[in-house]
Amino acid sequence: MGGDKSDVLQGTLDLMVLKTLEAMGPLHGYGIARRIEQVSENALTLNQGTIYPALLRLEQRGWVKAEWGLSEANRRAKFYTLSALGQRRIKEETESWERTAATMARFLAPES
Amino acid sequence: MDWMRVVMSRCAALIGRRRRDEELDEELRAHLELAAEENVRRGMGMEEARTAALRAFGGVTQTKEAYRAERGWPLMGQVGRDLRFGFRQSRRSPGFAMTAILTLALGLGANTAIFSLIEALLLRPLPVPHPEELALVFASRVNNLHSGFSMPLFQALEKRHDIFEHSAAFDARPMQVRGSSGNLEVPGGMVSGEFFQVLETPPLLGRYLTPMDDREGGGAGGFGAVISESFWRAWFHSAPDVVGSKLMIADTPFTVVGVMPKSFVWAEPTERADIYVPTWAEPVIDAPYSNLANGYRTVWLRVIARRNPGVSLGQANAALRAVSNPVLEAAIPDANWIADARRDHFQFTAEPGAGGLSLLRWNFERPLIVIFSMCGAMLLLACLNLASLLMARATARGRELATRLALGASRRRLIQQLMAESLLIALLGTAAGLAAAPVVSRSLAALLAGTNRYAMMDTSLDLRVFLFVAGMAVAATVMIGLIPAIRATGSNLSDQIKNGSHTMPARERFRLLPGVLLGLEVALALILAVGAGLLTASLARLYGTGLGFDPKGLVNIHFDMGKQSLDDDALARWYRAFGDALRHLRGVSSVTFEGQTPLTGSTWSDDGVHSPFSNGNQTVYENLIAPDYFRTLRIPILAGRDFQWEDNSTTEAKIVLSQSAARKLFPGQNAVGQKVTGHHGKSYRVIAVVGDIHYTSIREAAAVAAYLPISQAVWHKASYTAVVRLDGPAVPLAVAARSLVGRMAPGVPAPVMTTMSNVLDASIRSDRMMAMLSVFFAVCALLVTAIGLYGTLAYTTARRTSEIGIRMALGAQRAQVVGMVVRENVWIAYGGSLAGLAVAWLASRTLASFLYGTSVHDPWVLVESVVVLILVASVASLLPALRAAWIDPMRALRTE
Repeated sequence: MGGDKSDVLQGTLDLMVLKTLEAMGPLHGYGIARRIEQVSENALTLNQGTIYPALLRLEQRGWVKAEWGLSEANRRAKFYTLSALGQRRIKEETESWERTAATMARFLAPES
Repeated sequence: MDWMRVVMSRCAALIGRRRRDEELDEELRAHLELAAEENVRRGMGMEEARTAALRAFGGVTQTKEAYRAERGWPLMGQVGRDLRFGFRQSRRSPGFAMTAILTLALGLGANTAIFSLIEALLLRPLPVPHPEELALVFASRVNNLHSGFSMPLFQALEKRHDIFEHSAAFDARPMQVRGSSGNLEVPGGMVSGEFFQVLETPPLLGRYLTPMDDREGGGAGGFGAVISESFWRAWFHSAPDVVGSKLMIADTPFTVVGVMPKSFVWAEPTERADIYVPTWAEPVIDAPYSNLANGYRTVWLRVIARRNPGVSLGQANAALRAVSNPVLEAAIPDANWIADARRDHFQFTAEPGAGGLSLLRWNFERPLIVIFSMCGAMLLLACLNLASLLMARATARGRELATRLALGASRRRLIQQLMAESLLIALLGTAAGLAAAPVVSRSLAALLAGTNRYAMMDTSLDLRVFLFVAGMAVAATVMIGLIPAIRATGSNLSDQIKNGSHTMPARERFRLLPGVLLGLEVALALILAVGAGLLTASLARLYGTGLGFDPKGLVNIHFDMGKQSLDDDALARWYRAFGDALRHLRGVSSVTFEGQTPLTGSTWSDDGVHSPFSNGNQTVYENLIAPDYFRTLRIPILAGRDFQWEDNSTTEAKIVLSQSAARKLFPGQNAVGQKVTGHHGKSYRVIAVVGDIHYTSIREAAAVAAYLPISQAVWHKASYTAVVRLDGPAVPLAVAARSLVGRMAPGVPAPVMTTMSNVLDASIRSDRMMAMLSVFFAVCALLVTAIGLYGTLAYTTARRTSEIGIRMALGAQRAQVVGMVVRENVWIAYGGSLAGLAVAWLASRTLASFLYGTSVHDPWVLVESVVVLILVASVASLLPALRAAWIDPMRALRTE
């Protein structure tokens, strides 16, 4: 391990979770955590546990829905699904991120 | 909208907390197992796989904590713990807790009770749609801004629909309704055609009265009537087919056309009405008299109207001003009358009518506000008192708090915890106060109603009262808790330890604030005491005023003879026979009759009485009386003779003058035997001069009055009140008189009895209420102040035990110790009294209009208040001082 790892930026975890659910369909907490790790190619120090308060926040806002189901290994687990509200949210968040990223990029670009 | 969803789901999470915890546990367990299984698949051993899974997860407990913090309301759990802690603290000193809760309960309970009266009387709008559109309309003149209407005047205004969408006239009236055993009196109202349209409340059954009903002779089937739900239930036993049934009112059949729901309150919210009939039925209801027949000369209607949407009250008033003259000319066929009205600046005015019209409100608005401010002062005092007690106690806990601060507790957390304790006190005090408030407000409402049997006041606790109480409780919590909490957490541990626990650390620095709080308390107590003193002195003077007659032992028996068959001389003979029968009842020493009962406020006067010697026309109050009136009321006959039953319509008209009237009409002469003339030109022979009495009120000086015999009265079917002087109790008489009326005048409603003492009390009920409540507040204030002075001094003295022990061991005398301890409170008491006296001197002016024969700076009251306060303060301060002086020096030093 070690090397160039960064902490998860405040507020970005929510979007990662939403995006994951959009890409993967219904998924349990462990699945989401693993997927985030894989996509970020282990560049993030993510305590898998932090996913749960985040999931609760999303559920409270109505962006994801949760229900109990059976995992591939026939184990009871809570599965999260993206809701229509969540879909809309992803769009908004993505746009705002892209704006921020573009702005930052302009600042960071070597002066010409 | 997100935050709303969050709040809702957080609230939902408050229930089923255990189930939610179990679910979280299961979810996390599943996570770890899934992770471990994957690790095993990648070739790890069981143990290693599990450890790796846990490591990747991070702290399980932290995750759960973070999750729970997100889920419910973590602050609530904390507050709950603080409250439990506060409860345990309070249980350790139950005396303190009880005192605190009781003082707050007194303050808050009294405030709630008075506020619910204010709400019922002054604030609550009529329960109708858009009450703010309602306006009360008056035919005002310079000398009477709130005059009512005569029928022609109202009818002329009613036609102007450009200002008001609808307008209505009304008048409350007890009605005689035929029951199974003769007529019964039922409170009712006469209402003009658009009345129910103004109030916009749909009927429960049937329909309401409309302009089609309010015509001469009523609608197609005679007069209609609308009844209240409670009357429908009691009289018709909730019969569903009540619409269309007949009701005999004033011996005339009325058809019930509708029932108004229980929630309906008519235009006079403090006056009960169970039957509503059209104004055109007035001659039937008032028979044998008629206001309608008197036309514009009789003012008897009140007017309420609904403004057109978009017309403001100011615009309505401007429009009314503009139509005043045209309407006056259209309505009144009498040029002299119109000229008179113009001279008095006659004009229509509109005032906000959301609360309807209430005589009780007019009478008690100002007294209630005065009482409410006294009440507020008492609550403030109770809070100041608790603040200083808590402060003294927190100082005693200084070391504990300093230690906790040093151990890392945040100051905010400690303040929160100390506040929780005051919140607990405030909550319990509020609860106790709320429990007591309805009883108090109901009995006050009964006091305000006086002798009015149909007065009603809904003092139930509505939303506004609850909001008021909640606001008060919060304010009280902050006031009693915040200052002590902030101060108590301000010291640091090293100071506390350096100074030891038995001396007074940095006393000089902190002495000012508690002293100021207690001083304020003393000042407030003095203000309340002065107020109470002034109001009681005034009440005592009211009761001490010579009335000119002796009210003790007098009973008035009033019955309504308007709807029976006897009249004129036959009716006079009936009165005589009835009087004779009453006289033979046990305990009765004399009996007479009167047209108006003194001090009830209902009077009758003639402003055109003159004699050849009088200086033009004089205004003379008149009363119709029967023989024996002066003997029964114990009014001295100064010259001449009493009336006799033989002074009837066949003999010369006679009159008796009061001393003042005789002086006015016959200055410097003997009035007996002379003649006076009334405004209608009729002459009377003066047969006697009698002593003056207070006819209109205790406050008003003895009236210029004249008496006429009922045996010569020109009224038809007049109802007189029998006045009985009793030797014994009134209760047997009540029973006997009731059966006597039942026997001698079958069908007449049961008589109403009041003792003259009741009438007297009711005539000054606002003075009585103010005096009673202000004394109550003052006594409470003194008590609370005493507790405060005693409590804080006891706390500080207890902490000086060892210091006092050393002083005594070094030779201090007991007297010196007492002096040393008391000195502190002496300054507070004197300073507070001085400040209180200064404020009371200025503030008592607001009481001026309520006081009778009492100066707002009555020296006796001021001196007495100060003396009482200093006495109370001395006793409260001496107790701890004496206890300190009897400390055994050896024991005190050993406890160090």
